Amino acid sequence: MRQFWEQAILEPLRQLSQQAVASLSSLVGVLILILLGLVVGWLAKEVVYRLLRVLRFDRMCDRLGVGSEIERLGVARSCSYLAGQIVQGIIVLTALLAGLTAMRSPWTQNLVERFFLYLPHLLAALVVTVVGVLVSRFLGRSALIAAVNAGMPSARLLSALTRFFVMTLAIVAALDELGISRTTIIVTFAILFGGVVAAAAIALGLGARDLARDFLQSQFRPKPKAEGEDTMRHL
Amino acid sequence: MAEEILSDQARRQVTALGHLDILVGVPSCNNARTIGHVVQAAQAGLLKYFPDQRALIVNSDGSSNDGTREAVLSTHLDTQSLMLVSHPLYPVHRFATPYHGVPGKGSAFRTLFRIAEIAQARAVAVVDADLRSITPEWFDLLLRPVLDAEFDYVAPYYKRHKYDGTITNSIIYPLTRALYGRRVRQPIGGDFGISGRLARRFLTRDVWSTDVARYGIDIWMTTTAIAERFRVCQSYLGAKIHDVKDPGSDLSAMLVQVVGSVFSLMETYEKAWCNVVGSEPAPLFGFAFEVGLEPVSINVPRMLAAFWQGCHDLLPIYERVISPVHLKVLLARAALPAEQFVLPDELWAKLVYGFALAYHRRVIDRQHLVKSLTPLYLGWVASFARQTENETAAQVEERIEKLCLIYEQLKSTLISQWSLRTKDARSEL
Repeated sequence: MRQFWEQAILEPLRQLSQQAVASLSSLVGVLILILLGLVVGWLAKEVVYRLLRVLRFDRMCDRLGVGSEIERLGVARSCSYLAGQIVQGIIVLTALLAGLTAMRSPWTQNLVERFFLYLPHLLAALVVTVVGVLVSRFLGRSALIAAVNAGMPSARLLSALTRFFVMTLAIVAALDELGISRTTIIVTFAILFGGVVAAAAIALGLGARDLARDFLQSQFRPKPKAEGEDTMRHL
Repeated sequence: MAEEILSDQARRQVTALGHLDILVGVPSCNNARTIGHVVQAAQAGLLKYFPDQRALIVNSDGSSNDGTREAVLSTHLDTQSLMLVSHPLYPVHRFATPYHGVPGKGSAFRTLFRIAEIAQARAVAVVDADLRSITPEWFDLLLRPVLDAEFDYVAPYYKRHKYDGTITNSIIYPLTRALYGRRVRQPIGGDFGISGRLARRFLTRDVWSTDVARYGIDIWMTTTAIAERFRVCQSYLGAKIHDVKDPGSDLSAMLVQVVGSVFSLMETYEKAWCNVVGSEPAPLFGFAFEVGLEPVSINVPRMLAAFWQGCHDLLPIYERVISPVHLKVLLARAALPAEQFVLPDELWAKLVYGFALAYHRRVIDRQHLVKSLTPLYLGWVASFARQTENETAAQVEERIEKLCLIYEQLKSTLISQWSLRTKDARSEL
């Protein structure tokens, strides 16, 4: 009876308690790591934020047009603060992953491994998106100013379309990099883009034939000198 | 060691000539129709006014393919007093059309100044190859102040139609005058005389491969001469009539090249202009005779339409560049009916200073910034044309003088804002 008690009841309980203690210590270790990560992350964020402010990082971002975009989207109060938050996020994430590794379970090991394999893709997608935002802003503004100076009535539309297409390309490229429904995205983009072009072609063909003809004539036929045209020299 | 711009052959040719008193430079690029007349005028001017001086006429050509060189050679000049050289034309010169119509003008000037340096010329006169109104007297007027009165830089002073040269009248002249304190009426005239001393100084500068040399060489020379305290004067040349090669050239590109150069030079010569108050006239040589001017037509409704569109479509850019107070006033003006529209000179000067500050602080891409000034500039021209419709040339000149004084009065605000680099600083100007 005693042997049975020892083997059937106490031994499993002892093992359970050992496992519980081991798990609990791992959990405490994880919690300590996360807590440490939070504290160090917060400190790093403050240091990075203040350092970048001293280095006039916000001014540089304003020049590139990123600052106003960040403000407009409400992502952060400034670029240097956002950079601080990114550093904080990386530290907290690292702490979390370190904690998961410390748990030594196959599931967490596998999760950490997969995360590190995915990280380059994540960073590449982030870079593609940021470059896309910058290029779309620059080209959009270029198109806007050129169209206004050329006296085109739909300057804002042209600018918005320029930005839209550049951003769409960037997002498709970023999602492709992340491997999210790669085929679906490419097909969707092709259908959307093709659809827009087809719709524009049909609309132009049916509704604005005269407009298209006039436009092409104005572009390729030599223009007679309009009455009242400027002959002034600006310089 | 500085890069040698002259070929070995050209250098040997110049060295063989020995010491020169005068060098006349004619930069060209496809000017076969007019260059013969310009070279003949130069030869006649040198013979008439400087018969006892050793002089050389140099045509620096930038890869003409219309027979420009043949046109120069057919002028039957004494080969001892004529030299043909080529200035390098880099790819950028072929792709972009500079406002002055001579690709590689900076390279041409550098070539001419280098020849002047080797030949130890005392005075250099440079004239455009597309001039139709040039006379032999121009060379006396451009060279005499250097040779006899020891001036270093002789700027041209032309008689122009009241609607001719509106960028010069509304921005370049008032701004240069207010900044550097010298009243040089045509700071980007194109024809000028300089001393050998100043030519050597120009050669030492590291600008010859920059955009300043490519597109803003005229304003750079004028600004450098004034800011570095060389003796500057003006000579009255009458009317400037020349072949306009590209009358429909892009206005915004012109603004980028000229206004962008002025804004850029504000950074180079920050110390030179920050302590200048008011302005002094630059001495004027020559008799200011009356001349007939070519008629100029101006399309005010089209300019106003461009102004209104700019105020509407470029508002997000203006919000970043112009102070809220002035933007409000500008938009209120833009909302007025066409017949009541006036852009006050004070507001205009504040706008120009605001753009200069935004350029300095790199609020947005610099090309975008200066290009976005185009609709506002057209608004000012439309307003100016309305106000001066029935005014004489003298009355218009008085009006420009008043505009210049406003620029000078507002300069203190510009100075106080210049060193503030934060984006909040725009609220003041």
